[in-house]
Amino acid sequence: MRMTLITALVATTAVVGAVHAQDSGYSQKEVSVMQGFKAGGGSDALAQLVQPFLAEQLGVNFVNQYIPGATGAIAWTRLAKQAPKDGSTISITNTPMLTTNYIMNPSITYTLDEITPIANIVTDPGIAVVAADSPFQTFADFVAAAEAAPSTVTVGNSGVGGDDYFTSLQFEKAAGVQLQKVPFQGDGPSWTAAMGGKIDASFTNVGVTYQQIKEGNLRALAVFSEERLPELPDVPTATELGYDLVAGSSRGYSGPGDFPEKDREAMIAAMQRVMDDPAFQKAAKEQALNIDFVAGDDYTAMLKRQEDEYRVIWAEIKDEVQAK
Amino acid sequence: MNESLLMVGLANVVEPSNLLAILAGTMIGMFIGAMPGLSATMAIALLLPLTYSLKPETGLAMLASLYLAAMYGGSIAAILLRTPGTPAAAATVIDGYPMAQKGQAGRALGLSLTASLIGGIMSSVVLLTVAPLLGRIVLNFGPVEIFAVAVLGITIIGSLSQGSPVLGLLSGAIGLLLAMVGMDLTTGTPRFTFDQLNLFGGIDFTVALIGLFSIPQAVRLIAKGDANAAASVSQVSDRMLPTFSEFRTLFPNGVRSGLIGIFVGLIPGTGGDTASWFAYNEAKRFAKNKAEFGTGCPAGIVAPEAANNAVVGGALIPTIALGIPGSSSTAVLMGGLMVHGILPGPSLMTEHGDVTYTLLWAVLFANVALFFVGLMFTRVCVIVTRVPNRVVGPVIVVLSVIGSYAINNSIFDIGLMITFGMIGLAFDSFRIPTPPLVIGLILGPILDTTLQQSLLIGGGSYGIFLQNPISAVLLIFALLSMLQATPFFGSLSKLIRRPNRNAKAADDNIGGSTGE
Repeated sequence: MRMTLITALVATTAVVGAVHAQDSGYSQKEVSVMQGFKAGGGSDALAQLVQPFLAEQLGVNFVNQYIPGATGAIAWTRLAKQAPKDGSTISITNTPMLTTNYIMNPSITYTLDEITPIANIVTDPGIAVVAADSPFQTFADFVAAAEAAPSTVTVGNSGVGGDDYFTSLQFEKAAGVQLQKVPFQGDGPSWTAAMGGKIDASFTNVGVTYQQIKEGNLRALAVFSEERLPELPDVPTATELGYDLVAGSSRGYSGPGDFPEKDREAMIAAMQRVMDDPAFQKAAKEQALNIDFVAGDDYTAMLKRQEDEYRVIWAEIKDEVQAK
Repeated sequence: MNESLLMVGLANVVEPSNLLAILAGTMIGMFIGAMPGLSATMAIALLLPLTYSLKPETGLAMLASLYLAAMYGGSIAAILLRTPGTPAAAATVIDGYPMAQKGQAGRALGLSLTASLIGGIMSSVVLLTVAPLLGRIVLNFGPVEIFAVAVLGITIIGSLSQGSPVLGLLSGAIGLLLAMVGMDLTTGTPRFTFDQLNLFGGIDFTVALIGLFSIPQAVRLIAKGDANAAASVSQVSDRMLPTFSEFRTLFPNGVRSGLIGIFVGLIPGTGGDTASWFAYNEAKRFAKNKAEFGTGCPAGIVAPEAANNAVVGGALIPTIALGIPGSSSTAVLMGGLMVHGILPGPSLMTEHGDVTYTLLWAVLFANVALFFVGLMFTRVCVIVTRVPNRVVGPVIVVLSVIGSYAINNSIFDIGLMITFGMIGLAFDSFRIPTPPLVIGLILGPILDTTLQQSLLIGGGSYGIFLQNPISAVLLIFALLSMLQATPFFGSLSKLIRRPNRNAKAADDNIGGSTGE
């Protein structure tokens, strides 16, 4: 019985990294990292990748706390309302859920103003995929079908409030078409349904589908990144096809509101050193994580801009969606 | 791609850490299963937290072996104490206990182990052969088809619930209602959450399951005291391994029962208990000397034991391929998958192929490990059958609290677990079966989600369920299964299928047991 108890306790808090006697100017020796999702998910992958390097640069111990539930809202509510503001607690913040949570649900009460964004680390760009035997050879075929018969072309996404859902909405606006959006429980079920021809297309992310695209089980029609991706050089961006659409899901770190400015700067500086470290870059590449380092106030601005966009979109379609 | 995953899985399983996990799972499972009143389902539910810190494949390998070993452990209690540790072992009591009373406890346990090995190996081989095909087949299962499978699952549970069908339906309906709590997938609207953030994600069925199964059992054990001590056989002194000629005579029976187990497992909603009674009856039907049954006949031990181990492989197929658990034990295994961040369903074969195949291989290895661990440690295991109930009960409660907290690191979930424990207790005293509630809780969100997705795909028309051949056939099966429960169809099937009636009658005799 004692063994079970200890194992359960170990499981709740996994200590990552080691203390190094290096003065980085950070005020704390131990930092809790709250994650709004279960161990083993995308947030955890980021934590396991970044924190060992960051622990060394910053001279702190990181302790992961997994607080899954309400698409991250339980963890972020705790970050905004209860977390100590002394640099000892930060959280992994995922877009778009960080902002769409409270935009869509009045009972979720934290806001972006109550947290201090530190830096974005990775972005997994959005991508439109279809089955290998789909009649849509190009993105233009797909758009033409959507134009010809509004609300009949079925497009999967990873769930209402997720990045792909909002990408679909943004695309509808940019292209002036009407899609039949089908939400799934996560990216996997969404692209699997597309692969089986159950839906016409799936708006999903590059990181989770790259393997299937490479093996020819899925065909990529367009990526929603700023520029073409080196690993998919033949796939055009939506922007070059004439649609103003850059989207994806991003993960970074934020602290509670009134996070000590000195600590924020120290952490950003340490993160910058981690990003420049070839060993880190190699590790990130092995995990197919697309580094997109946006630090400090730029990260705040990025989140603000997204929040505004989502707020506008949601206000437009809210009644239509929830009336069903 | 699938063939290479098969090898990746094998390579994963033979890693020392995974082999160790299988061995540890087998040992722990056997001891827990041997404690009277602790079922294989509870063994998994309680020990789920043990695997959190492990890698997904290691954790799952451990859970699978734990489950198999707990099934065998259940038959130790059945044979020695006449208290089946698991409902699946209830059929084993009939011949196992008389044999043990004759001083052949070792022989009975040895037969049980050998039969488990036969059934287990068969079902793993089927599982591994079918799995690569499954990878392709599951792609044919989109929301429309999965909705139909879930409907079928619901109806079968209705017709198989022990005791009163009305109470079974009530329990299932409560489960479905509770499944509606949480955010609506297609609109993002929170339902029945009362602004409680902890309910946004719905009720975690693993938490509910721990409460429903463990707390009433703990209370029952504490209240009952140790009544069985006098009747129990406390010594295993004779040889366990069956002789070769004995093995040869029981082999066909084992294979037949194994096949029954695999097929019964495949059907969502039916588990080890159905399979072992079914196999027992078939063995009796095939036997030359029917009067031997009930007096310590080897075939009466081999049949249920081979069947209930073979069920695992069959039940894992709908669980991993479609996310629809075949029994409450596979439901807990599914909880294990989800705890490790893996959502069962079509993407399990595509996105997490490596983990899936590791699990499948682990089932095979666990069967072999169980045979040897069983041969070596069964004698030691007899000690745990003598642990007083008053000790076991409180330990279950402690483990339940730790387990429910550790799933989401949430104090709220402890309260939720205890609430479900109270519901379980109330159900117990009103003789309402709890398994239908669990199945409702699991299938509810699947039904809800796939119905909405199907309607979106079909442009709002319900006709999509009939236009699609797979779903149309499945829905017809569902309709038949519902009609089968009505009096008209019941009397009709009695005329046609006489042997099955015996199976049902035998089932009713044991009706008091609390489900798997």
